[in-house]
Amino acid sequence: MRDLSATTEGTTPTRSQAENEVRLPLIALIGPPNSGKTTLFNRLTGLRQKVANYPGVTVEKYVGQVQCNRERTVELVDLPGVHGFSARTLDERVTRDVLEGHAEDLPAPDAVVLIVDCTRLESQLMLVEPVLKLEIPTLLVLNMWDELEERGGNLNEMELADLLGVEVVKTNARVGLGVERIKEFLLGVEIRERGLPPPVRVLSNVPRGVPLPMIDAFTARRRRLDKVVDRASFVSPAPARLTAALDAVFLHRIWGPLVFLTVVIVVFQSIFTWAVPLMDGVELLITSSGEWLASKLADGWFRSLLIDGVWAGVGSVVVFLPQILILFLFLGILEDSGYMARAAVIADRIMYRVGLQGRAFLPLLSGYACAIPAILAARTVEDERDRLATIFITPFMTCSARLPIYALLIAAFIPEGRLLGPFLGYRAAVLLGLYGLGIVAAVVTAFLLKRTLLRAQPGSFVMDLPSYRLPSVRSIGLRLLDRSKIFLRRAGRIIFAVAIVLWVLTQFPRTDAGPPLIEDSALGRIGQVIEPAIEPLGFDWRIGVGLVTSLAAREVIVGTLGTIYGVEDATDDSITLQETLRRDLTLPAAIGLLVFFAFALQCMSTVAVMRRETGGWKWPILQFSYMLFLAYSGAFIAVRLF
Amino acid sequence: MGLTAPKSISGLPQEEAESELRLGDIPLSQTVELVRIDLPAEQAEPLLERGVLPGCRICPVRSSPAGDPIVSVDGSLLALRRETANCLCVRLLSDVS
Repeated sequence: MRDLSATTEGTTPTRSQAENEVRLPLIALIGPPNSGKTTLFNRLTGLRQKVANYPGVTVEKYVGQVQCNRERTVELVDLPGVHGFSARTLDERVTRDVLEGHAEDLPAPDAVVLIVDCTRLESQLMLVEPVLKLEIPTLLVLNMWDELEERGGNLNEMELADLLGVEVVKTNARVGLGVERIKEFLLGVEIRERGLPPPVRVLSNVPRGVPLPMIDAFTARRRRLDKVVDRASFVSPAPARLTAALDAVFLHRIWGPLVFLTVVIVVFQSIFTWAVPLMDGVELLITSSGEWLASKLADGWFRSLLIDGVWAGVGSVVVFLPQILILFLFLGILEDSGYMARAAVIADRIMYRVGLQGRAFLPLLSGYACAIPAILAARTVEDERDRLATIFITPFMTCSARLPIYALLIAAFIPEGRLLGPFLGYRAAVLLGLYGLGIVAAVVTAFLLKRTLLRAQPGSFVMDLPSYRLPSVRSIGLRLLDRSKIFLRRAGRIIFAVAIVLWVLTQFPRTDAGPPLIEDSALGRIGQVIEPAIEPLGFDWRIGVGLVTSLAAREVIVGTLGTIYGVEDATDDSITLQETLRRDLTLPAAIGLLVFFAFALQCMSTVAVMRRETGGWKWPILQFSYMLFLAYSGAFIAVRLF
Repeated sequence: MGLTAPKSISGLPQEEAESELRLGDIPLSQTVELVRIDLPAEQAEPLLERGVLPGCRICPVRSSPAGDPIVSVDGSLLALRRETANCLCVRLLSDVS
């Protein structure tokens, strides 16, 4: 069995500790994908959500606290969206383990909140039967009630509650309608007895010991449900007109792919254009606060450490926060609006040719933000070999940690200018090219893998296309806040620590006149040891040090260069990182460095999550060596080509 | 659990060989009834969970730019591959409205 337990870093006390003291009632929130589960979770837990993340590692279950009233708080666990309990996918296994009380880091839940999209009641209720078999208090949330009524559907929810024997609440989680009723339910949840061992309950799509083949069991369940739904006088809503109209364009033979391309280009262009004023603002804030601090401190080693080491190192990375947030903003809008599923459909044929499932498109696309949640998202890929192939190629997707170094080098070496009218400039084009490079590497790698190590027949593909919805500002805002926290915490921990170590290495061995010339310092000597290895790529020792420190995380290289040049040019404050790079790096070498970063797996968190998700070191080691080989040879060729 | 996966699973006991119509052959906006799923259990399960069960009404509503079918089942929109759609045996509804 794989170790799926979440890596949390000192955020929660261990369970055994908590159990001896007062444990909060634990409620599991489950539902099919796109039923509004996470929106409801955010509604209920609000900003007090405990971000149970290892820096950069999004774990598969979020635990948040809900304040029901002044005295009472309960814990809510947000589980992955599932259609059933076959445990065919890792997501389903996680959900099952938590509900059955087998999860290592959580007790069995005291109650369940099952949320469904009531505009598609019949198929969504397929989850009800297995959940009711758990025999723990259950609340059925009929979400998107407003949409049901708008489109002329109806349902007698009291009758449904009677027939199923559960409490039922009508909600519209997006605007918060019905949330108070859910809180009332949560208020009544009692902690179940812990004295006795929990009864063995096994969730399954098909009841145990029933000799019926799976399909008959499903059909029988469906018949029972149809009766329930009929007696509760369910009138299914008219087809969503807006969705049909939008699909006519977004899935059109010609317009569909065009819109797809336009969306991609607009996202990348805006990373460079919209972000600039914001980045200038952040930069101004950092430099002026640094100057202010410097003026308050006496000249000495401490000021040098703080300003040249920490401020220059951490500051040079924090500048990229606006760009990363813009990328996540777009991904959030695309996902929440329902367009992402259409994009997956458009991409599926290509994925099929490569030998992957269309379902792999969603994890791969989120890989553009960060490989770690993407590798976890690959759990929805049903075939084990397809899942392995998907997570193997995910780090080729250009994650946001590459943006700092890409943005820095592009801004330093690529001139501004228009390539395609006002839509696409040179800089955005180079950035798009780097993203393209990642895609090509991913496609070729997947193609090779599926014909060698992970050979398999192409499977079937089913993709839910949710109705289009206006994304909620609140929900996206919360996610952006979450990402900012993670990014700043990384900057605050890894980059901070690296900056201090590097600064110390630049200060020794001391000379009579104080700190040595940077070339003679301990750091300079380490760099010169590395230099022969990277000299064929046209990199000097400073870049070499950056490559070593960026093994921890890609964006660290920017902080490292910030520190090195910060110390080197401490006397000259006006010189920027871009200018010093132009001085020390040729254009071919800069392109080589970009290519190196496009391919190399410089992220310890990714390696760790790979080990966890593949259950061993084999895949992460193979992946790391393969990507390093590609990076080195790619940069070697690029330097000679340009 | 259908661990011993049969090669193909049939919903109705003895389906006559006449219904060899596949979902992939159905023109847009024509509602049909699903008769049989010719897929191994582990590939059929995602369909079953989403309400694609023998006896259900299914209607192709549009095709993707690459020509794959997008169907409506119980008010849900599902995108399939044509290879998958060609494994779904369907029957025309006799009462044409």
